[in-house]
Amino acid sequence: MLLDLSEEHKEHLAFLPRVDNAVVAEFGRIAVEFLRRGANPKIYEGAARKLSVSSDTVQRGVEGLTYLLTESSKLMISELDFQDSVFVLGFSEELNRLLLQLYLDNRKEIRTILSELAPDLPSYHSLEWRLDVQLASRSLRQQIKPAVTIKLHLNQNGDHTTQVLQTDPATLLHLVRQLEQALEEMKTSHCRRVVRNIK
Amino acid sequence: MELSEYVQKGFQMLADPGCFDPNAFTLLLRAAFQSLLDAQADEAVLDHPDLKHIDPVVLKHCHAAAATCILEAGKQRADKSTLSTYLEDCKFDRERIELFCTEYQNNKNSLEILLGSIGRSLPHITDVSWRLEYQIKTNQLHKMYRPAYLVTLNVENTDSGSHPEISFSCSMEQLQDLVGKLKDASKSLERATQL
Repeated sequence: MLLDLSEEHKEHLAFLPRVDNAVVAEFGRIAVEFLRRGANPKIYEGAARKLSVSSDTVQRGVEGLTYLLTESSKLMISELDFQDSVFVLGFSEELNRLLLQLYLDNRKEIRTILSELAPDLPSYHSLEWRLDVQLASRSLRQQIKPAVTIKLHLNQNGDHTTQVLQTDPATLLHLVRQLEQALEEMKTSHCRRVVRNIK
Repeated sequence: MELSEYVQKGFQMLADPGCFDPNAFTLLLRAAFQSLLDAQADEAVLDHPDLKHIDPVVLKHCHAAAATCILEAGKQRADKSTLSTYLEDCKFDRERIELFCTEYQNNKNSLEILLGSIGRSLPHITDVSWRLEYQIKTNQLHKMYRPAYLVTLNVENTDSGSHPEISFSCSMEQLQDLVGKLKDASKSLERATQL
């Protein structure tokens, strides 16, 4: 599957052959940093000064490179497809190899970052538990009421939330049984077949 | 057991056969238990024909006194002798004491369950449901091919009576971590109950 690069995109990338390969490698690093942490205009200005070009040109070059890398990572295109896609830009063979290397080196991380953009439900982080026995309350003395107190740590959109919950011993056993069944499901022949055949 | 003057006055009237004949006494006693323990009970609980001849103000006073005494006894987990002693001090005759204690004994369990359920507590997990899915792609990421679980905990809030749900997603490893920790908790619980 080939990448479809728009004219505008090709224009932005046209900046790359005009600089050293070392600079392209540096742009690659800035591009991945951009994905990790967002744009940093100061970096563009610094690079622009050193290369005697406008800050805009640098920015577009980096953004073009970022888009190239993210689209390729998103589609998980093969090496061959990447090379063919980049070929239409008419770059030197050395530059093409450099771009391919950038793609392969950063693909895994970029895909991890992209996976965080999906519609997000809170996700499990960890769990702490504590055993308690209630001995008395305002309305009833001399009790022996065991309970398990649970602190559930969840992540959502980078925020860490916690929920404090409680349950009784019988429900705890029920929870364990139900969730063990959930884990067992992955090992059934049905699930194995799906995993094997959908690739 | 220490109860207020209001309760004591009510009991004095209840002890008096001139005020309450044996039948009326039994009916009032049962009405008191019913008001406390029967979720559907309402004001009509005192509307029995055999109680009509008694002044409604007296009826309500004694009903309230009996109910208060029952609750206090339940709260303190009073035994038969404590209850008897208190009723003796209120000048109940032997027969009425026996009747009260028998009724109390019959309803003791329900009473304790009721009292034990009153109070603030943390949101309580009542059930769990799960969903296993195989993620193929999102609009940001194609060719994912990984299993994921969606777990929903059903939770009950004692004070607001609401039933919020807590849902979260997790990978297989994370679910294993979760189950492992819950199993540790239940093993600890087992060991604690064997001590």
